Amino acid sequence: MSKTETGSPEKKGKWTRRAFIGAGVVAGSALVVGVAVRQGNPVDRLNPLLANGKDERLLNAWVKVDADNIVTAVIPHAEMGQGVYTALAQMLADEMDADWNKVRILEAPADMQYVSDSIARDFLAPDLEVPALFEPTVAGGILELAQAMGLQFTGGSYSVRATGQRAMRTAGAAAREMLVAAAASEWQVPAGEITTADSMITHARSGRSAPFSQFALAAAEQSLPARPTLKTPDKYTIMGQPKARHDIPEKVDGRAIFGIDANVPGMKYAAVKAPPVIGATVESMDASTAKTMPGVLQILNMGDFVAVVADGYWQAQQALNSIDTKYGKTDGDGLDQEAIFARYASHLDDAGEDGGDSETEEGDVAKGFADAAVKIEAEYKVPFLAHAAMEPMNCTAWVRDGKCDVWSGHQAPVKARQAAADAAGLPFEDVTYHNAYLGGGFGRRAQGDYIAMATRIAKATGYPVKMIWSREEDTAQDFYRPSATSRFRGGLDKDGRLVSWDNIHTHLFDPKDAPTVPYYKIASHKIRKVDVPMQLRFGPWRSVDHSQHGFFIESFVDELAHAAGKDGYAFRRELLADSPRHLKVLDTAAKMSGWDRPLPDKHGRGIALVPSFGSIVAQVAEVDMSGSKPKVTKVHVAADPGFVINPDGFTAQMESAIAYGLTAALYGDITLASGKVQQSNFHDYPMLRMGEMPAIEVALINGDHQHLGGGGEPGLPPIAPAVTNAIFAATGKRIRELPLAKHDFA
Amino acid sequence: MTPARTFACLSVFLLAACGVDPAPEPVEQIIVRQPDAPPVAIAAADVATAAPTSALVAEGKAAFANCSVCHAVAKDAHNGAGPNLFGIVGKPAGQVAGFAYSDALKASGIIWTAAELDSFIAGPAAKIPGTTMMAGPMVDAAKRQAVIAFLESTNAS
Repeated sequence: MSKTETGSPEKKGKWTRRAFIGAGVVAGSALVVGVAVRQGNPVDRLNPLLANGKDERLLNAWVKVDADNIVTAVIPHAEMGQGVYTALAQMLADEMDADWNKVRILEAPADMQYVSDSIARDFLAPDLEVPALFEPTVAGGILELAQAMGLQFTGGSYSVRATGQRAMRTAGAAAREMLVAAAASEWQVPAGEITTADSMITHARSGRSAPFSQFALAAAEQSLPARPTLKTPDKYTIMGQPKARHDIPEKVDGRAIFGIDANVPGMKYAAVKAPPVIGATVESMDASTAKTMPGVLQILNMGDFVAVVADGYWQAQQALNSIDTKYGKTDGDGLDQEAIFARYASHLDDAGEDGGDSETEEGDVAKGFADAAVKIEAEYKVPFLAHAAMEPMNCTAWVRDGKCDVWSGHQAPVKARQAAADAAGLPFEDVTYHNAYLGGGFGRRAQGDYIAMATRIAKATGYPVKMIWSREEDTAQDFYRPSATSRFRGGLDKDGRLVSWDNIHTHLFDPKDAPTVPYYKIASHKIRKVDVPMQLRFGPWRSVDHSQHGFFIESFVDELAHAAGKDGYAFRRELLADSPRHLKVLDTAAKMSGWDRPLPDKHGRGIALVPSFGSIVAQVAEVDMSGSKPKVTKVHVAADPGFVINPDGFTAQMESAIAYGLTAALYGDITLASGKVQQSNFHDYPMLRMGEMPAIEVALINGDHQHLGGGGEPGLPPIAPAVTNAIFAATGKRIRELPLAKHDFA
Repeated sequence: MTPARTFACLSVFLLAACGVDPAPEPVEQIIVRQPDAPPVAIAAADVATAAPTSALVAEGKAAFANCSVCHAVAKDAHNGAGPNLFGIVGKPAGQVAGFAYSDALKASGIIWTAAELDSFIAGPAAKIPGTTMMAGPMVDAAKRQAVIAFLESTNAS
């Protein structure tokens, strides 16, 4: 399939740092634009400061025009199936008036210059009000932070709404204005009379027209526009269009290179096993059998894990399986699943009605509750979850002659590079990190552990080694979505209106707004948390804390609706009286589902609405409870991310988030016994099967084009409560603990 | 990740130069053999039973596993979905007896030198548009060289 036929940008290349820096010189006629200006900043005044000092290195996205009139977008994000390359390139190409069929995409090298300060800004200080005068200081400070943290980061559903909205569009608009200025100067015509479209510059009155490439060099001489004009939505030609994902053809025909496909001459393979109680040490290993097994090169006790290096992966894994390992004792050795939830309960009990750390409070909750005509209480629990990426953790490393090369798929390449540098004991500059496609990220590939492990093995052997985790290792050595318990008390007045909302829950990681409900109109509310020491290491998991609180909140709202004698949809409509965007999303989902249309016996509909990562998503799930377990037959989705850059990609994200979230709701359950994770592979940590996948219908709403929301995560939080609310509608059985596999529906 | 926590991490960075201890070295390292040394037990068997072949030919033979779904490489073997490639190096294209070639390949006029083979398997449809060979590009140049070495080795036998 040729690229022209699919209408998608050409295959991405790979940059080494050297190739990248050299590009402007070698290409000869290239216009390279760095984004040193940011939309909304007082850059007119600050440009001299930014342009002359080191601050000009605040470059976070680039565009290049070469002699063949090809526009290249450099994307500072990792592609993990979410379509980010395509969506970000669309934003740049549209502002630039580039011909979409002549757009190429490159993933940015793991370099400090690509640290995304836009992300850092949203991620670290979203509400920071900065007096204009201090802008450069703050920007510089945040960039410094971002660099230190290795935030060339893909996660938090941030790519489009931060990098795309601030950097890619600005870069495209700036490049266009520079090209127009160069043409205006050459043709001696007013810039305002020049138009651009499809990578061509046209002056209609004099009948002149030229490709971008003709003015690329001259444009590079133009001063960087202080504040390039961005398009309004009525002028969009590429944004908002369902452009084909550029990474699909090579993923279909097998050309796509994932981390696990790394191929280094002379490379050997490592299999690893870490102590089943996470954090324990390896006390001793008996490798007498492994030493005699075919293909084995080295057997390593790394202190915190055991590794076998062999000619092939299978040989390494088989030899590893034969090793008898003794582990040191830890405080967590005796910990069981029940003890963890008992610990949550005792901390919540201790906090009582007024204890814990207050997160948000408004109105007089105690009075509201005392005066309430109807009072209900409920407690909900969710389990630990693993990420279970299709491609298990893996990394290829080569440490030699004071240099280190690392190949893997990582959500934060700069962080991966730093992890390798630390593990190799080398300066950051002596490490080259090569990022590939990620066979699933979900937050797991934001951790540096597997990069460090492979680098340490490679350092010990001296030759290149590809470390691949078995599925068992991947399941048992994850950074888990925390289990949690949440308790609610709610009060309704005599008309069934919600007057009091009291919630206390265990731990809070990110985002901080996950337990809050500012969009619901509630006379008084109080939300608190208790911190409970956790045995299992925490990691962000698709939608992070929203994955828990979406279920908690929308389940309790449904219980309140029932207590008020109201329908779940109608009750939420009242609560959303002051939140028109949310209400429209809710109404759209309900309307799509034919909310009032009767269903057969033992069938039910459930509704849930969760705003997260700047997007509002409502889902109506339909379940068939006539069998021995729930069958989700249909999910209607309405989503408002502000403006949908790529409707096809965004819809796919809604669908995949439902697949991922429904897997968790039905089956996801990581349990501990004697401190060890009990699950090991897909037989005891099952995934949703093809036959279990519901039909999904998605409606998209462009509610606010100036404030974009994310796409990768917001589709997930509503699915669990939509399904459990539907089960209640069908059976009268209220689910307060996930996964559904724990419950008997026979 | 909160701003507060991030700042805390940053100060660790500044104070402790990257904030991590040097990664621990192996507690125990058992070196069974060096990677360039042949696997002892298997090598003995090879020597006893197989004619000496270069490592490149062996690698090529292994890499040919995918190709062997369609192509036989043995004297007088039948054609499969693709022609028998025994002794193909140096032969004109489209001449293996009994195989129904595409018009494009028959008319190509190519002599299958190592270089021609290399560019063909690097992108069959690109090199000879209209070929009915279904395989996609073999992108790994080293692997192509190995496969060609393997095919060449059949000329000698």
